[in-house]
Amino acid sequence: MTAMPVIETKTSTKVSVRNLDFYYGQSHALKKISLPLYTNKVTAFIGPSGCGKSTLLRVLNRMYDLYPRQRAEGEVLLDGENILDPGIDLNLLRSRVGMVFQKPTPFPMSIYDNIAFGIRLYEKLSRSEMDGRVEAALRGAALWDEVRDKLTSSGLGLSGGQQQRLCIARSVAIQPEVILFDEPCSALDPISTAKIEELIDELSERYTIAIVTHNMQQAARVSDFTAFMYLGDLVEFGETNTLFTAPQNKKTQDYITGRFG
Amino acid sequence: MSLYSHRRRVDAVAKALCWTGTLFGLSWLVLILGALIYEGARGLTPAVFTEMTPPPGSSGGLLNAIAGSLVMTAIGVVVGTPLGMLAGTYMAEYGRYSKLSTVVRFINDILLSAPSIVIGLFVYTVVVARVGHFSGVAGAIALAVLVVPVVVRTTEDMLLLVPGPLREAAAALGLPRSHMLLRVAYRAAKSGIITGVLLAVARVSGETAPLLFTSLNNQFWSTDLNAPLSSLPVVIFQFALSPYKDWQQLAWTGALLVTIAVLLLSISARALSSRGNYK
Repeated sequence: MTAMPVIETKTSTKVSVRNLDFYYGQSHALKKISLPLYTNKVTAFIGPSGCGKSTLLRVLNRMYDLYPRQRAEGEVLLDGENILDPGIDLNLLRSRVGMVFQKPTPFPMSIYDNIAFGIRLYEKLSRSEMDGRVEAALRGAALWDEVRDKLTSSGLGLSGGQQQRLCIARSVAIQPEVILFDEPCSALDPISTAKIEELIDELSERYTIAIVTHNMQQAARVSDFTAFMYLGDLVEFGETNTLFTAPQNKKTQDYITGRFG
Repeated sequence: MSLYSHRRRVDAVAKALCWTGTLFGLSWLVLILGALIYEGARGLTPAVFTEMTPPPGSSGGLLNAIAGSLVMTAIGVVVGTPLGMLAGTYMAEYGRYSKLSTVVRFINDILLSAPSIVIGLFVYTVVVARVGHFSGVAGAIALAVLVVPVVVRTTEDMLLLVPGPLREAAAALGLPRSHMLLRVAYRAAKSGIITGVLLAVARVSGETAPLLFTSLNNQFWSTDLNAPLSSLPVVIFQFALSPYKDWQQLAWTGALLVTIAVLLLSISARALSSRGNYK
């Protein structure tokens, strides 16, 4: 069962996944996946555990490259350039496609350095310019007011929700074009979750976003488009409103009404 | 008789056995430390730190032995630590999935548990026999060979403890691997690696066997690394076995000094690792 990608004329396509197959050693984890990520839209990947949604996300910045015996076949075009091409500069790719993880991953350094660290790799800034960038990034992640007085203290001392926003700020600071969220709220309480969701909404004005989530309400709340995956197949892809209210596929309907998964 | 009271009795017996075992083990430790302090503290005079090891029958101290120990341990650690860290880093980071790592790990484990006298003999054959005389350099090399496997092991273990997502997070920012390692992984593993190095120092500073074959001993003040060099363990060994009362006293005092040094190192290693940089 292959889904027909929605053809939208209003928005351009930032990332285009075409006939993507993914293998963990012998196991075939993604089967002929094709879907678009539209520019400055939020696309949610949902589906039961093991359906391949995180795997798909990890192809988009080639995170899987860190591990042996994982390989992808097919095409993933970022602004028309195939990022699965072996010649692609991975560090450059990842600076364009940022990622936020399930558990907050602040680096063992100060809050300021957590942000400045990534920027220093790509740009040579004066102290005051850097201060400005760090502040902008923290403001962008709705964290500035909470940490402005303790920028030099360790990022590990923040609460889970704050740490997660710090990680978002860190990704935003290097000015990527796409941000990938891998279940960013699954380790957070409802209040922190609400803040992150609000943030994702704001970020979508400037960035193309893909988010993996187990929480269907979350997908419904934050995303413009939703992809439902099952056992490595893309079952249905469409506008979130349509997919949740009038799913085309029986499996999608069963899943979103809680009959399995 | 109820099951519950039976369980309580079993619990009491088990607890009693645990206590006995602990007390038994600890009492020996206390006796050893007690004897060491009782015998060693008596001879702990300023002369110990200011005078050279004496010929039998005259007074003296341990200055040359202390200095020799410090110098050889320092060189051993300075040479062994980077080697060990590089190997450990390779195994944990670059060669995590390679065959070579498995082989290196296996050999390293053998080296880790090899009797130190074997290391001494090895350096004797390779260095002392070739050069034709005992020397401080040979002693330092032997100690370095002992430091390496400890540091390899802790470096690898500590780097493996750095959470995978932290590495991925660094990669996700587009950090080259070297940056990830130097700025993120090492930082997260710092206290563990330092602990490992301190434990290596502690282990090495009490070693006698490898030094007997390499640096031997020197009655006089010497900073010449190309000549035989005195060290605390060897002096303790030699003096404790001698029939002279004043030599035996110096051996006790030397043993006390080594013990205190090792104890301090272990305590600071403990303190560091419990503080931890990354949880």
